[in-house]
Amino acid sequence: MELILRQTSLSANIVAFCRFLRQKGFTVGPQEESDALLALEKLAPFGAPDALQLCLKATLARTLPQQMLFDELYIQYWRELEKAVNSKSREGAPEQKAASGKGQEQPPRAQSIKNWLQGSHARDTEEMATYSTQEMAGRRDFSSFREEELWEVTRLIHRIARSLALRQSRRRKRSNRPLQLDLRRTLRLNMRRGGEILELAHFEPARNKQQIVLLCDVSKSMDLYSRFLIQFIYAFQNACRRIETFVFSTSLYRVTSQLRQRDFGTALSGLADAVPGWSGGTKIGESFHAFCKYYAGKLLNNRTIVIIMSDGWDTGNTELLAESMRIIQSKSAKVIWMNPLAGSTGFKPNTSGLKAAMPFIDIFAAAHNVESLRDLHRHLK
Amino acid sequence: MMRNEGLERIQKMLREQGYITEPSIVMSVFLAMELRKPLLIEGPAGVGKTEIAKVMASALQTDLIRLQCYEGLDATHALYEWNYQQQLLHLKMAEDTGKTLEERERDIFSDKFLLKRPLLQAITHHKPPVLLIDEIDRADEEFESFLLEVLSDWQISIPEVGTVRATHIPQVIVTSNRVRELSEALRRRCLYLWIEYPGFEKELNIVRNKVPGIDERLAEQVCHFMQEVRKMRLEKVPGIAETLDWAMALSALHIEHLDKELVESTLGIILKDWQDIRHTQDSLSALFEKVGVVSKLDNL
Repeated sequence: MELILRQTSLSANIVAFCRFLRQKGFTVGPQEESDALLALEKLAPFGAPDALQLCLKATLARTLPQQMLFDELYIQYWRELEKAVNSKSREGAPEQKAASGKGQEQPPRAQSIKNWLQGSHARDTEEMATYSTQEMAGRRDFSSFREEELWEVTRLIHRIARSLALRQSRRRKRSNRPLQLDLRRTLRLNMRRGGEILELAHFEPARNKQQIVLLCDVSKSMDLYSRFLIQFIYAFQNACRRIETFVFSTSLYRVTSQLRQRDFGTALSGLADAVPGWSGGTKIGESFHAFCKYYAGKLLNNRTIVIIMSDGWDTGNTELLAESMRIIQSKSAKVIWMNPLAGSTGFKPNTSGLKAAMPFIDIFAAAHNVESLRDLHRHLK
Repeated sequence: MMRNEGLERIQKMLREQGYITEPSIVMSVFLAMELRKPLLIEGPAGVGKTEIAKVMASALQTDLIRLQCYEGLDATHALYEWNYQQQLLHLKMAEDTGKTLEERERDIFSDKFLLKRPLLQAITHHKPPVLLIDEIDRADEEFESFLLEVLSDWQISIPEVGTVRATHIPQVIVTSNRVRELSEALRRRCLYLWIEYPGFEKELNIVRNKVPGIDERLAEQVCHFMQEVRKMRLEKVPGIAETLDWAMALSALHIEHLDKELVESTLGIILKDWQDIRHTQDSLSALFEKVGVVSKLDNL
């Protein structure tokens, strides 16, 4: 900490650099600043400038996206600093001490850094947005991804699906592994031996035993989204045993077994074979009616959560839809409707299908980006 | 190149342990040791994250205490447990000795019956050890916040005994495969290091170092091949360990250069997923073209 008091021009520059990073969206607090300064002190006799760069990188960049971006920002900072200092000395102002706030005639590129040196807090927000690719991917609408970005997004989706499926409940169940001692059961177990404690009973946290029924719309209007939602469903189903999956466009298909494949490619071709109406029209009412008729009695009970992924564009019978939704809701624990269009501002659920279904939906949520899928866990409780 | 005593010392230390490094690793290890901060290492599987902890422990001539994280890992497994069975037996045996209740209580809650788990072990060790918290991303978020508490206070309270303070603060290495995002709080407490798959030069260096006696040309071909394989979209991208296994196997067979049949029959050493193997076999000719062309140029 003593280094902070001893304001050398280098440490002053480091502090300014930290502020520069902060402006670029880095999470650099006083803790990181003091880390950086202490680190420099330990490193004291520098031989080469690249040691300085590595040292600051190790102490200030704390996520992968930040590490990727750091070198570029570092170069940018010192280049602009140099420019700013040069122009200052040309004006006759004292070097390094940049506190005297003049010099508005500098070229615009040097301006942002000079603002910092002079303590002005003008924000250039456009640049902030670029630092975290992962965060960006999370908030972007599915329909806006390009082909080459799919791989990264897919992996993100799989990761979320897995963590959703593996959530623990607070309940505990008996276990043979010596995890935690189950006192109550231990006592009971040994009662028959006259209270002599010989056998120990244990318990472990129980995994969530929720049953889930997924109904996913794969009609034409959902095309941009269903390729992501199918990925999600696939990953979700593979991590979680008790899940039944149906897809529908003009009629309903049960695809649980097709999705239960180790390889996504195989699963997808199985799906394509099983579902002839892919990207066709939508008849939600008829599809749900079929669901009620053939599966509802068997699959739905008061512990089942029904998740419907659809935009609600319907060309079929809306009365039938309302009636089916009523049956589904009455038989299940919860009905969650995830709508990809609900993510856009100004969305109103006024498609005819959605209007009919609305009274029987417990939770209406968006499903337009990765972030919204992650939110699903709040509804699954 | 860096010219700094501290850094050179670390570099030498790592090299002596057979760990081939690059400047960013040296810098992070140096700073972690100097600032006594935990070092969070992320990167794909098999790039030598765990190895750093092992190397540090043996270079500092201290013990490595390892906490392997997994789903459902909880505080009892990381800190301590009472040895219930032994306590019960002890009580049984002490039944007729006429000890008072307090004495017995003191007996059964003594060190003898305390099973120290890694974290407690690390802070009560007789000299500062290297504490490796491996694959933290596999543990739940609850455990992560619990860990934060231990890492900042360096003390553990055991209700029956009292608070145990750290005799030495261990050198902590935390690794993660990015299965899930780690919390901001944990990141801020640690220094961060990202290790990427090694480039050709570094990998070749590692192979030469770990597989002495390997044919020079074979080593180059193996490394080129691995570099190309990693560019493909695979389920499980092979790491350095796979490269070394392969190089060792080929070297033991006294092979001097790669050919298609050989690669096909030994593909199982570097690829551990059936889909990946099939995928690679399909594009083997293309791969060979890339690798083959480069090695020919080298021979000129």
